[in-house]
Amino acid sequence: MGFWTRTLLADAGPLWNGLYVTLSISVMAFVVAASVGLGICILRGYLPALRPIFAAYIAFCRNTPIFIQLLWVAYAWYDLLGWPKEVFTAAWVALALQSSGYLAETFRAGIDSVPLGHVEAALALGISRLSIWRRIILPQMLLTIAPSLMNQFIVIIKCSTLVSVIAVPDLMFQALRLTGIWGDPVPIMSFVAVIFIAVIMALSALSKHLADLTRARLQS
Amino acid sequence: MYGLTMFWDYRVILWHGLLINLLVFVLSSCLGLVVGMLACIGRLSHVRPLRAAAAFYIEVIRSAPELVLLFWIYSVVPVLLSEIAGSRLTFNPILSATLALGLVSSGYFAETFRAGIHAVPAGHVEAAHALGMSTPTILRRIVLPQAIRLMLPELMSQNIGLLKTTTLVSVITVPDIMYQINLIVQQEMRPLPLYTGTAAAFFLLILGLTSLVGRAGTRSREA
Repeated sequence: MGFWTRTLLADAGPLWNGLYVTLSISVMAFVVAASVGLGICILRGYLPALRPIFAAYIAFCRNTPIFIQLLWVAYAWYDLLGWPKEVFTAAWVALALQSSGYLAETFRAGIDSVPLGHVEAALALGISRLSIWRRIILPQMLLTIAPSLMNQFIVIIKCSTLVSVIAVPDLMFQALRLTGIWGDPVPIMSFVAVIFIAVIMALSALSKHLADLTRARLQS
Repeated sequence: MYGLTMFWDYRVILWHGLLINLLVFVLSSCLGLVVGMLACIGRLSHVRPLRAAAAFYIEVIRSAPELVLLFWIYSVVPVLLSEIAGSRLTFNPILSATLALGLVSSGYFAETFRAGIHAVPAGHVEAAHALGMSTPTILRRIVLPQAIRLMLPELMSQNIGLLKTTTLVSVITVPDIMYQINLIVQQEMRPLPLYTGTAAAFFLLILGLTSLVGRAGTRSREA
């Protein structure tokens, strides 16, 4: 029972803090990635001249390993721009960079899934362009892509374990630190692995539930 | 431009690092295909406990972050095996990396295999049964040829994902390309050209592979 008393008495604080850091980085990265992805997706339609630039951005984000992007943002950007100063910022910027490329494509698929007739009908009724986006396109497409958004959030959580490498004190970092302190990797590593698996399993169950709801709603 | 000549100066160790990446990729892809196939067979079997066990395995392995599994297999598994064996065992980091990435990809491969097999129309199997073909023959002549063609593009893109993931193995001291790059960065204190060059090189490599796979995918759908 040595491990459990130790975990509950001494390690509970760092582990909770680690989980908190992991989740806040993931949420932050997801929100930023979704905003950038949606922005690119909308602007691409209105600024055809910039389309190659957006395409190159998306291709770069999707085709570069996340670990390289993380080190690139944390060290090369800092070298060039003097920003991001904190590893925490570098962590969510890198995760958002990767996901914004994937999410831009997800949003595009979502917009394509909205029947053109709906938009034409709205235009014929004299509804303004902004209202068409807000009342016709976005609600329908968010319903369609909700499961994909959820999956991308899960991917972000999985990749967020990497930020321990640049010394962000997330859950993985705490696991490695406590392993170093107690010199006993077996219980702490297994415990942290179980926490991650449980969190991600719960989220993917939620995502499956969302997908079922969407399907039921589209069929009715 | 000065910075980029460093890639030429260090070409030998970078090349060795890249070879280690490719080695880990090939080994873990083979392991993942074998374990994924077994898990898929278990998932489709008529024996209920086997089916449940395979489903549980796939679910857990797909939920585990790659880095967590890497560290777990690197640090925990040798200790557990040492206790069982009664003597102190250590794993070569390349072996740990292969095991971890192989297991991670097996979960995804298993689901791809299952999707491919499910995509074969049930009528084909029923027709073959009606013609009196045996189950192994049906599998060999009817199901697999169609299923493999259907799942090939997805398998390819998952393998590209696995190749991207092999860049992680430096964190458990595998001397791969990122390990060497990090050493050079420490030596030269010039992260900007080194990391930018690496990002650009990987971008071109993966983009090239992705577009090759995309073209092969269109062709196999047309065939």
